[in-house]
Amino acid sequence: MPDPTTSSVETDGRRTLVRLLRAAYPHPRFPDGPYERTADAILAQAADSLWHRLVLTEGLATLDARAAAAGEQAAFADLDDEAALALLRGVEDAEFFVLIRGVAVVSLYDDAEVHRLLGYEGPSFEQGGYLHRGFDDLDWLPTPRIEEYDGPDQLVEVAPDDEPTTAPTQA
Amino acid sequence: MTTDHVDPDQRSDAERLPTRQDHYGASIGHDEEVVVIVGSGAGGGTLAYELTAKGIACVVLEAGPYLMPEDYENDEWASFQQMAWLDARTASGPYRVARDFPNLPAWVVKAVGGSTTHWSGATPRFRAYELKTRTYYGDIDGANILDWPITLEELAPYYDRAERAIGSTHRHGRPPLPANNNYKVFANGAEQVGYRFYATGPYGTNAEPYDGRPASIQDGFNFQGDKSTAKWSTAVREVPRALRTGRCDLRPGSQAVQITHDARGRANAVLYVDKDGSLHRQAAAVVCVAGNSIETPRLLLMSASALHPDGLANSSGQVGRNYMRHLTGSVYARFDKPVHMYRGETMAGIIADEARQDTSRGFVGGYYLETLSLGPAFLAAFIDPGEWGPGFTEVMDAYENTAGLWIVGEDLPQETNRVTLNASVKDQWGLPAADVWFQDHPNDVAMRAHGFSRADMLYEAVGALGVHHTPPYPATHNLGTCRLSERAEDGVADRWGQAHDVPGLFISDGSQMTSGAAANPTLTIVALAIRQAEYIADRLAKGAG
Ligand SMILES: Cc1cc2nc3c(=O)[nH]c(=O)nc-3n(C[C@H](O)[C@H](O)[C@H](O)COP(=O)(O)OP(=O)(O)OC[C@H]3O[C@@H](n4cnc5c(N)ncnc54)[C@H](O)[C@@H]3O)c2cc1C
Repeated sequence: MPDPTTSSVETDGRRTLVRLLRAAYPHPRFPDGPYERTADAILAQAADSLWHRLVLTEGLATLDARAAAAGEQAAFADLDDEAALALLRGVEDAEFFVLIRGVAVVSLYDDAEVHRLLGYEGPSFEQGGYLHRGFDDLDWLPTPRIEEYDGPDQLVEVAPDDEPTTAPTQA
Repeated sequence: MTTDHVDPDQRSDAERLPTRQDHYGASIGHDEEVVVIVGSGAGGGTLAYELTAKGIACVVLEAGPYLMPEDYENDEWASFQQMAWLDARTASGPYRVARDFPNLPAWVVKAVGGSTTHWSGATPRFRAYELKTRTYYGDIDGANILDWPITLEELAPYYDRAERAIGSTHRHGRPPLPANNNYKVFANGAEQVGYRFYATGPYGTNAEPYDGRPASIQDGFNFQGDKSTAKWSTAVREVPRALRTGRCDLRPGSQAVQITHDARGRANAVLYVDKDGSLHRQAAAVVCVAGNSIETPRLLLMSASALHPDGLANSSGQVGRNYMRHLTGSVYARFDKPVHMYRGETMAGIIADEARQDTSRGFVGGYYLETLSLGPAFLAAFIDPGEWGPGFTEVMDAYENTAGLWIVGEDLPQETNRVTLNASVKDQWGLPAADVWFQDHPNDVAMRAHGFSRADMLYEAVGALGVHHTPPYPATHNLGTCRLSERAEDGVADRWGQAHDVPGLFISDGSQMTSGAAANPTLTIVALAIRQAEYIADRLAKGAG
């Protein structure tokens, strides 16, 4: 049983947490920075709530225990991607993991470095929008019509079979 | 006007937020019996401008702050924290939002301008059959379908005026917006699968300068308030114009908590709390409620009296019922080349081919397909809430090469889909929060499946490597909870939006809608508000109110 009165979750736990985040949200091209910042956001949340801290400390310790029980003779943080993922699938609904995911899905993808890595350019107004920065630079498809259709086809609002049997009262 | 009033533009950001002044515009006494409008969004903001322009004094009570375009943030979560309605609310029932977002049934705005600050801009009109759904769809099991007491012919001139107010592209000589990258994928796919009725609008953002506001600079962030003001909202058009008439007293940070009536049953005042929690009473000749379809019925339910034991104007029992949120779903398609879907006007792409009544498709009613883009922050939160692992990150990793669209169609009104007071959850003032209970009708499920399959075909036709279906997220379109009806026993308000039971009380927002139609609702809300303003002005001129 880990001791939540010490700050173990902030030291040993952080390493496990970063490994967990990488296994749960695998982006091979992401460096450690975004995962570390996300881990810190989770720890900050845990610091604000005794319950979260209890749940997190116990949950992370459980991961190590499970890794050991599976005969991996390693801590969770030392597992390879496949083994780590399999282990996490087994704790998918555990409260600590739900808590981690709730923070991670917001923090990890609300990160300027991650935005750059994913090819998202972030705030645009100060740079004059995308008017001269590629809002229409897609060149692998023809430029389509932007006006409304004015050819011979008519949009049939009500299919003939769907006309009411008793004529609707005229306005 | 308070003595410390200064021009808002001269203030620093810190001074501006959250509520810079107790009120803006005219000073109207609390005992003066004027038109009191609750909410300043599509319905309330329009009504305030239309009435004050006709010389009628209005007090506008707005729960949120008055944000200026320079306050808006090009940042999804920061903007959400800044202006979304985050007061206590609950979601319940079998729909997935109740599990994924139990405290966020709706994504709507609490600020001057209401959800028009967040809206993107699609402005299709309703079709004639959509105002006569009982006639065209018949009686459908589990649904509570009713014809509107208004026809399209009656609405048409008000649609014209609403399109001019909003500056809808493709209408009344307004040019179309150009094709952005997301639209190029969308429109080419549409053409490939045989759709014809696609275009970059009608859309409520200027393609060229119009009405004192600039042309779009294609800056995206349509859902975060538009810093450039190229996009119409009541915060940049109707509210400032109403204030300039000198007859509008706008009170931000003022939340209506009860509507009262006199001994004869006429609406006569609104009680509201200011941002410090003090209670005030504003006398009223007419009360117009436009708090969006969750807060409007909540306010009526909180206004129960001896005469109205089940909530104000609720003799029909329909207040809060028939809540509609539109049939929605989103589709994100991955390609082998870049798209950059977030660049440009978010929803300037509309396909109307499926917006029709043709039950050979397996459902009544129709739907639109519209371009959609979220930044990585919101995409991660909404794409498949709770999802994680390599399947999830594969979708996120493809962000740059992703195109997106939204399915928006008619969902059927059901009596059990309902806004009620949640006795066990209180807001910051200790008032019962609104609970939203929702369940899809089988017709909704069939239409969504059809929409997903058509979107898949569309994207596969232009080479998609994979498609991802995103379930409905917290509702941006909230409708129907105080519906219009010919007969008092079938609905809450009459053909002008006046409550059947309470003279002088008007429903002035999307809660009026008897059916939701496939179209995005704002154009219709604005058209109804312009029409209602004429009626109210006419009644007041005749001394009847
Ligand atoms: C992200 C997003 C995108 C959208 N895109 C489109 C689109 O492309 N096309 C379209 O047609 N529609 C769109 N919409 C929907 C559109 O914004 C709404 O349908 C419309 O604004 C609703 O108008 P309303 O008057 O009913 O309410 P709102 O505009 O929401 O205004 C209600 C106002 O009332 C205030 N209020 C509530 N209760 C009280 C109270 N008790 N006292 C005082 N004030 C109160 C609120 O703070 C709010 O300011 C979008 C919405 C969102 C969120």
